[in-house]
Amino acid sequence: MILTKPNKPKSIKFKKFKKPYTRRDLFRKILTPKYQIPQSNYDFLGPSDKGIDPYTGAWTIQEAGHLLRRTCFGPNYQQMKDAVNDGLQATINKLFETPPPPDEPLNSYYTDDPNVAIGESWINMPFVDGLEDDQYAYRHHSLRAWHFDIMMSEGVSINEKMTLFWHNHFVTGDIDEPNALYRYIKLLRENATGNFKQLTKDIAVDAAMLIYLNGNENIVDEPNENFAREILELFTIGKGPLVGPGDYTNYTEQDVQALAKIFTGWQLKNDWSYSITEPLEVVFYDDLHDKTTKTLSAHFNNATVSDNGSDEYKDVIDIIFQQDEVARFIVRKLYRWFVYYDINATVEMNVIEPLAQMLIDNNYDIQPVLKTLLKSEHFFDVLSMGCIIKNPIDYTLTVIKQLGASIPTTFNDRQFWMVYVFYFCAEFGMEYFLPPSVAGWKAYYQAPGFSRIWVNPVTLDLRKQVSAGLIYGFEDDGLTFAISPIDFLQSIDNPSDPNEVVNEFATIMLPRPLADNQKTFLKGVLIPGLPDFEWTMEYNNYLDNPNDINIKISLENKIKDLLYMISILPENHLS
Amino acid sequence: MKRREFLKKAGLTMAGAPIVLNNMKLQAIGNSLLLNQAGPNNDRILVVIFLNGGNDGLNMLVPVDQYDQLANVRGNILIPENKLLAGNATNSFHPSALGLKDLFDNGTLGVVQSVGYPNHNRSHFRSTDIYNSASAADVYVDTGWLGRWMDLTYPNFPTDYPNTETPDPVAVTMRSQVAEVCQGQSVNYSYPVEDPFNNNTLPIGAQSPAPDSPYGDELTFLRQTINQSNQYSTIIKSLAGQGALTVNYPDTRLGKQLRNIALLISGGSTTKVYYATMGGFDNHSEQVMASDTTLGDHADLLKELSDAINSFQTDMKAQGLSKKVMGMTYTEFGRRIRSNGSYGTDHGTASPSFLFGECVVPGILGANPTISTSVTQDEGVPMQYDFRSIYGTILKDWFEVPQDAIDSLLFENFQSLPIISPCDAVGNQEIYGTGLKASINPNPFKDNPEITFTVDTSSRAHIQIFDTMGSVVLEVADDKYEPGEHRLPINTEKLAVGVYYCRITMGNGQKTIRLVKQ
Repeated sequence: MILTKPNKPKSIKFKKFKKPYTRRDLFRKILTPKYQIPQSNYDFLGPSDKGIDPYTGAWTIQEAGHLLRRTCFGPNYQQMKDAVNDGLQATINKLFETPPPPDEPLNSYYTDDPNVAIGESWINMPFVDGLEDDQYAYRHHSLRAWHFDIMMSEGVSINEKMTLFWHNHFVTGDIDEPNALYRYIKLLRENATGNFKQLTKDIAVDAAMLIYLNGNENIVDEPNENFAREILELFTIGKGPLVGPGDYTNYTEQDVQALAKIFTGWQLKNDWSYSITEPLEVVFYDDLHDKTTKTLSAHFNNATVSDNGSDEYKDVIDIIFQQDEVARFIVRKLYRWFVYYDINATVEMNVIEPLAQMLIDNNYDIQPVLKTLLKSEHFFDVLSMGCIIKNPIDYTLTVIKQLGASIPTTFNDRQFWMVYVFYFCAEFGMEYFLPPSVAGWKAYYQAPGFSRIWVNPVTLDLRKQVSAGLIYGFEDDGLTFAISPIDFLQSIDNPSDPNEVVNEFATIMLPRPLADNQKTFLKGVLIPGLPDFEWTMEYNNYLDNPNDINIKISLENKIKDLLYMISILPENHLS
Repeated sequence: MKRREFLKKAGLTMAGAPIVLNNMKLQAIGNSLLLNQAGPNNDRILVVIFLNGGNDGLNMLVPVDQYDQLANVRGNILIPENKLLAGNATNSFHPSALGLKDLFDNGTLGVVQSVGYPNHNRSHFRSTDIYNSASAADVYVDTGWLGRWMDLTYPNFPTDYPNTETPDPVAVTMRSQVAEVCQGQSVNYSYPVEDPFNNNTLPIGAQSPAPDSPYGDELTFLRQTINQSNQYSTIIKSLAGQGALTVNYPDTRLGKQLRNIALLISGGSTTKVYYATMGGFDNHSEQVMASDTTLGDHADLLKELSDAINSFQTDMKAQGLSKKVMGMTYTEFGRRIRSNGSYGTDHGTASPSFLFGECVVPGILGANPTISTSVTQDEGVPMQYDFRSIYGTILKDWFEVPQDAIDSLLFENFQSLPIISPCDAVGNQEIYGTGLKASINPNPFKDNPEITFTVDTSSRAHIQIFDTMGSVVLEVADDKYEPGEHRLPINTEKLAVGVYYCRITMGNGQKTIRLVKQ
């Protein structure tokens, strides 16, 4: 074998559930499908035809939950209630506060790196001849853990969902050089709600992108068109229908060729460096640059770009961004990310077009546009709620963060724990740092399925296992996955009323209110066949005897059963 | 090999897939062709095995009549001639492909040489999409070739399924993701089964009408998926429980998948298509071990592949099922003719496809690739057969789909191939070329050479010139020709000096001729 990827540090099979099902008979009964599927509902109402005027309607836990679910990974009940109290505008402001810059990723376990002790940063530290494979492995492990810890620790902020948005937009994948990968994700994170045009310029000469789309090999005598093609097709203006030979409505093959020449000369230097004084750099080599004057097609008004050395790529990106289609292209993608995948003519007219104009007016600053969208009538229309199937990362982090899973505190365990979570997500279809293609994850572009693509019988079963593992708890190689059911119960307003327990749990976890018969069904999980007061008595019994472990365990089991049942409802896949 | 060298190579392989979102809708085919009246009118089963990464056909089925030339261009990876397993007079199997050689000897293996398509794309992603969708290289199609057939055959799926006529999943994929070949216009027909005995069920959570909204629409989809999964889960478990095995399958990735397929078929499943995958064929380096070219990554892969298929075929035969089951391998591309300096091979063009079962025509279809010692570093094996000819033939001769429907499903008419027979055929037939007479003179040439070809019965002839990367550089003719000898000048003014391939297809015949412009 050529290269060993870092081994999965732990088995990710869930062999060690502590009694996943406490009441087998009950579950067997529930799990037996008796349900008749309603008629297929494809001529449904929607999407919303409202526009981007500010929303002025009711501001309750439903609306606040909708906003936070769509913008954060796994908002908890307190955050939702705070949002209700703070109001819409203050919550939006909070979402867009600049997060503090994270520390650099650290070596958590590898003892043989002569330059990097445990607990120290490996960024820009040299590789050592013969140790590369091990260094590669621990650094990637560290990077994954570091990145997932940032997402896990994030409060009310849009930053990490936007970082993932840009990762899915400016795709790179399978980047082996750890420093290049670190710089790439840092660039996205720091500009997550920044300026789209500037980020496009920065990504054009980013080390990971130069590797991924062969910019590194794009030189005057042998132009490589890979990046030139994708920046037009996928990153900025988008590919339209073929309307003539090599003419994709918004650009032509001539533009691809011209752009390839414009981007020549950028190379990685000192990748996999063995020297502490010669860290990875991206360098412009003037002699590898094509100095001819390049002419773009009529789609760019036949603009010419003459030799401008290391600034030339910025010149052409400025030219591309003069086309309004660039704004529409990215606004549609943001809309699909935050609102709904179905963009019909009304949405195009009432939402996409005015936001695109706003983006142009703000010289491609993303923030005003996102804020406008996220506080619009359109966003808070009931037709925009609950209609996105959560991606695997959103699903997993939501279970963990919303239910308050306990995360190890010792550094090494915490790192392994994070990497474990990384593999949960990878297992059911979304490996961070490895989108399936340069177009990103299919759920964000592939018609007609879009976010439905995440779901099939096997991934549903894996999601179920992740929920079961976290809710009922399991241990693997000394790592513990568990929640505190009593803490969760006591975080709600009326823990002693079984109807309110079901109500509030469902409000926290699910995007839309349940029907009455569904609530009855769930109450049957909590207190099967018993009158309501029995729950109140059981709970009071616990409060009176908080140190009686048997009472506590029985109560916990009931809460876990309910949480688990809600978590495997079809509604729980929706956001 | 140093990591840096590898990374440079790996970088080359990461060309992105072009995405053109022009949904090619099946409306174009029209409802008149709905096949459900006929239904799936036989009980035949297709097993598709995807060899992910790009399989090096030249190292698997070695054209020994080209051995000296191969030694010249890929000497560092070539297997010693005396270690190869003789197949027929001019082809030998890799020593690790013993399982396939056995099937070849007993007449249950067919090989189609040099399968590809014009303008072969060397990106893994894009070329895989092309093979899965059966699109042309420059067209993006978001449905799979089998999915489109299933759209016509199983209307109103999944709402009305399972039912008494179609009690089992239409297609089963032996992994956690659905199979893209089974993607229909709005639904994927494949049901994923990693472990047939352990498919769990999920609750719907009490009846409540889904609201009339996008939320309700997604909820309905989720409920349908869960409901169907629950029903199929029970069915799959029971089928596998009823199934039997007569051989011990190898405990490998593919061995387990084929074992589970055998259990389901043996248990009486009516599933039409099984989809298995095997990765690892992207052997840029250490395809062979420097010290012993019969060993290495590719040898391990071929052993896994051959042993698993051999077990499966042996099992099916012993259970009396091998006349209703056939298998097919495909891979996104072959590899370069020249090896690289890392004992590996880079992304190339055409590669053989392997068919197994009692009803496949045994032997090797097509001429051996002609290896020239002057091939460039970029050159792949030129295509002889379009992969869509194999798909079309399977639809026609195996699933008995009418030809006009096939032409719509595959977007144009592809020649059918003699690869599926009535099952009583015995013995090992040799089919070289298919008797098409064509030549180019002069060759090598400086100006415009002439192609001469003979037509037996009036038919369409399509003549194209490819460069060594597999791109179409010239369309010479695509017309109907009457019986007799025809001569056409080939205008090569626009072609630079170098090597090209001329491919002519006519009826069931085709021929690929190497050209040199000086």
